Amino acid sequence: MFLASVFRSAVSQTARQVRNLHQSAARAAAGGIFVHRDTAENNPETPFEFTAENLKRIDAIISMYPEGHKQAATIPVLDLAQRQHGWLPISAMNKVAEVLQIPPMRVYEVATFYTMFLRQPVGKFHIQICTTTPCMLCNSDSILEAIQNKLGIKVGGMTADKMFSLIEVECLGACVNAPMVQINDNYYEDLSPKDIEQIIDELKAGKVPPGPR
Amino acid sequence: MEHTENASTYTRWQHDKIQRRILIKITSEGKGTDMASSAAARTATGAGKVVKPIFSRDFDEAKRRVRDLYRAWYREVPNTVTTFQLDITARQGREKVREMFDKNKHVTDPRVIDMLVIKGKMELQETINVWKQKTHIMRYFHETEVPRSADFLSRFYVGHDP
Amino acid sequence: MLLEILLEQCWPSMGSWERPSQLLQMCLLERYQRAASIMLRLPTVSRALSGVAHIKGSVAVTINVRTGATAAPATASNQMEVFVDGKPVMVEPGTTVLQACEKVGVQIPRFCYHERLSVAGNCRMCLVEIEKSPKPVAACAMPVMKGWNILTDSEKTRKAREGVMEFLLANHPLDCPICDQGGECDLQDQSMQFGSDRSRFSENKRAVEDKNIGPLIKTIMTRCIQCTRCVRFASEIAGVEDLGTTGRGNDLQIGTYVEKMFMSELSGNVIDICPVGALTSKPYAFTSRPWETRKTESIDVLDAVGSNIVVSTRGGEVMRILPRLHEDINEEWISDKTRFAYDGLKRQRLTQPMVKDASGQLVTTSWEDVLTRVAGVLQGAQGTNVAAIVGGMVDAEALIALKDLLNHFNTDNLCTEEIFPMAGAGSDLRSNYLLNSRIAGIEEADLLLLVGTNPRYEAPLFNARIRKSWLHNELRVALLGRKVDLTYTYDHLGESTKVLQDISAGTHPFSKVLAQAKRPVVVLGSAALQRDDGAAIHAAVSTIAQNARVSSGVGESWKVLNVLHRVASQVAALDLGYKPGVEAIKKNPPKVLFLLGADAGCITRQDLPIDSFIIYQGHHGDVGAVLADVILPGAAYTEKCGTYVNTEGRAQQTRLAVTAPGLAREDWKIIRALSELAGVTLPYDTIEEVRDRLAEVSPNLVRYDDVEEANYFQQANQLAKAVNQTVLTEPLVPPQLSVRDFYMTDPISRASQTMAKCVKAVTEGAHVIEEPAIC
Repeated sequence: MFLASVFRSAVSQTARQVRNLHQSAARAAAGGIFVHRDTAENNPETPFEFTAENLKRIDAIISMYPEGHKQAATIPVLDLAQRQHGWLPISAMNKVAEVLQIPPMRVYEVATFYTMFLRQPVGKFHIQICTTTPCMLCNSDSILEAIQNKLGIKVGGMTADKMFSLIEVECLGACVNAPMVQINDNYYEDLSPKDIEQIIDELKAGKVPPGPR
Repeated sequence: MEHTENASTYTRWQHDKIQRRILIKITSEGKGTDMASSAAARTATGAGKVVKPIFSRDFDEAKRRVRDLYRAWYREVPNTVTTFQLDITARQGREKVREMFDKNKHVTDPRVIDMLVIKGKMELQETINVWKQKTHIMRYFHETEVPRSADFLSRFYVGHDP
Repeated sequence: MLLEILLEQCWPSMGSWERPSQLLQMCLLERYQRAASIMLRLPTVSRALSGVAHIKGSVAVTINVRTGATAAPATASNQMEVFVDGKPVMVEPGTTVLQACEKVGVQIPRFCYHERLSVAGNCRMCLVEIEKSPKPVAACAMPVMKGWNILTDSEKTRKAREGVMEFLLANHPLDCPICDQGGECDLQDQSMQFGSDRSRFSENKRAVEDKNIGPLIKTIMTRCIQCTRCVRFASEIAGVEDLGTTGRGNDLQIGTYVEKMFMSELSGNVIDICPVGALTSKPYAFTSRPWETRKTESIDVLDAVGSNIVVSTRGGEVMRILPRLHEDINEEWISDKTRFAYDGLKRQRLTQPMVKDASGQLVTTSWEDVLTRVAGVLQGAQGTNVAAIVGGMVDAEALIALKDLLNHFNTDNLCTEEIFPMAGAGSDLRSNYLLNSRIAGIEEADLLLLVGTNPRYEAPLFNARIRKSWLHNELRVALLGRKVDLTYTYDHLGESTKVLQDISAGTHPFSKVLAQAKRPVVVLGSAALQRDDGAAIHAAVSTIAQNARVSSGVGESWKVLNVLHRVASQVAALDLGYKPGVEAIKKNPPKVLFLLGADAGCITRQDLPIDSFIIYQGHHGDVGAVLADVILPGAAYTEKCGTYVNTEGRAQQTRLAVTAPGLAREDWKIIRALSELAGVTLPYDTIEEVRDRLAEVSPNLVRYDDVEEANYFQQANQLAKAVNQTVLTEPLVPPQLSVRDFYMTDPISRASQTMAKCVKAVTEGAHVIEEPAIC
């Protein structure tokens, strides 16, 4: 009986430990913290200027919204900034605020809310691998392993040449063709470890391989 | 255990003693009260100007009561000093008793004297029964308070209060 | 038709299209529309440009704003009947469930809802059951509909509250014993009242990194329950959009994202509105508990607004200063200087009478000695040989006592440090030197012209009122003077005095705008009157105001001309007949000079004969005390009952919260004692008698919390026409331009370490202030 109680407490301890492993996807994916710290590549002095072409686009975006509601354009303009720079340094957010004539804080709020706004540097090819249940059942783990071995980086890491970065994400809505990865804007579905290695090789060679396998 | 019992016996003994002493006093007072009330009745029927006395019919009687009270206090002082473990001698205590009596020596009205005697008896009873604590006894030895001055300037020099 | 108007009114509140709150807003909008079929007046929020009410999940229902001329008294026919726990109550359309409950005296628990801020509806604590409604509704955001029966204490309601409370407490640390909010914590109180008696939570709690947002506010962000009150306060009331929410879901946190100070002159108020211990006062940290302190209701004298305050004391020491509600002055906010300068009351104090000895050193002495000496000196000097200068924080009692005393010596050389032009009507007509429109009156104005002032730092609460009106009532603001950040947009008319004359002559484009205003207000900063051409400026502003009054066609009750003072004692001094400015004293240097709290440095030893005798009476060893031959230690505003008249002309009194340190005495008593030794005993011994004397001179000084209306604007303007109208070419630049100039302006705030830290933090950055050990 004494033994049983010990056993029980051990079980409950374990249960507690297991529950503690839970972490939200946002924390793992979006660079962790929701405060800004100046670094060498991300500080208010980081050069960022919209190109003339993008400024024209911004005007077009703003004109979609009623007079005096420039703030409504925050998301598209942030997206534009991210596409131009690859990710969003603090200087880019400040620039967006300046362009839209809103306080910088309002831009930070939006940028930190959405995980697709990348506030940390990423590689030229940003690989997002889905490991949610359907993909996992179709052995996404092997894909993940293949990528890690191929590039020599872990989840959340970036290759030294700043070509590839890798993060794990929750469902991207392509369960029908699991497992899948998203590289920049493209979906690569029905993957096998061999496929993904081939895709990475092609990307390295400067080509953009076609989507589903 | 034993010690406690001893202590309690001692207290009980002492308590008896005190009780007895009070009993004596109360009975004597009781007599006095009877006397006084009858006397009051007598005087009330007499002249209208004469007010109803409390105990004493005249000044001499009142004086006798004061002397009784003084004597009782005088005898009680050494007991008080030991019971309350006061850091004073019996002599100092008796001087204080005398001072307290002297404070009212200007009073001549037998009714007022009686009243003061009643108050004195209450104090005495509280002391004997150890209803008071050491701090209450020592309050008799407080420094005399200086009366507040009324004019603006001296109040200004003394402190903040108006 | 009505619906369209309604939509338009709600439109700005919908700002950010992409937010998830959009859905919620749409839902609410729909409800508004339904409720609107009989709606006359919907509280509106406009000025979406400023980005107000764009906080995640916010619903723009603004309340508690005077709508002035447009506010038609609601007729009974608009009202509809709802029931609170079966009790019928008539409410206006658009009233929220929470307000309806408040009307019958039922308090709904809440965290995020604050009656002076926009409604966020994100804490869910105010959930109540509505009869026949499938789900509980958030009382703060839901407008009532006809016939609803609100159940505030039903099983469902109680269960909803308990559930919300459990979620709130899931991530809230159990550090109440070391939390400064303990004892005045909404979460503590409400969890006692509505929470469960046990916890089912066994997981780890979330932890959030603390932020350094300056030397005034201590942040322990783990305690934060994300009510966003502080964020809304910053963007709506303070007008500084530095605070926001970053992240989402469980990781949502309040902060500035980048390392930054919360730079606002009203920042301390977030400590009061924070329902938990996430934002607490840094200077007050770990010093006392609310139940240990004694509270004294008093008045602030560090600016001319006269904010109502509560002084918390413990054992004869001021522990902190909190705001006290006064709808017509400060609402429930106070400025940071008012709140945090109290540590200056414990430093640099004059606690002993002092006299200069043979070697020129000030040595301490007794009251008898010092008063006898001063009395002797006064008796030896008569007429023009005696003069007095009073400073900015002197109470009316001391002012009248000093005036009576010096009048006995046949002199009327009593001056204030602040200048007010005496040419024309001068201070003879009260309307010339008061903020006639009153602070609350700004909410009814439609056009405001500020001349030579920076109200943000000269009178922060007045500025907050302007911002409120600008935000909610479409107030248009124009500024003539140096361009500064006022937290709202304005038309900058330039800083040249030439523009002022152009406007008064009607040749400036702004004159047309002014002519079209229905309820114009012109505010002249007292800083502009300190110049040599102050009289001409006052005359020009008076003309502008008079023209605007005529063109707008408002009645006699609407005041246009206003003067915004910067020091607390000025209005009372002018009421009592003090001469503004020390010019006369500089021209005729007296043998004996009495400085009553005069610390602005208007006069120096060089201005006086070498053998002149200077008496300084005051509470701080500041500029004035250095000059003095004799020092009489007085009481500061927390240490005396004193009458102060604010810039509106509203008499209010401070109350004695602590006794003055050392041998310091109340100011009028010192003068009264002095008069006795000088052989001209003043006829009052008590404060009541002094106030009777005040009433003799100027009855408004003892009608507390009452504003005596001042009139004769036209006459004053006519008299002003006789004044020399030439103005100097120097631009109108108020002395307080940036927040750095705000913190240290008077002897108390100059002695305050907290204020010194603020100045250091705003010049060198928040990180230079060393942090006390955070626990």
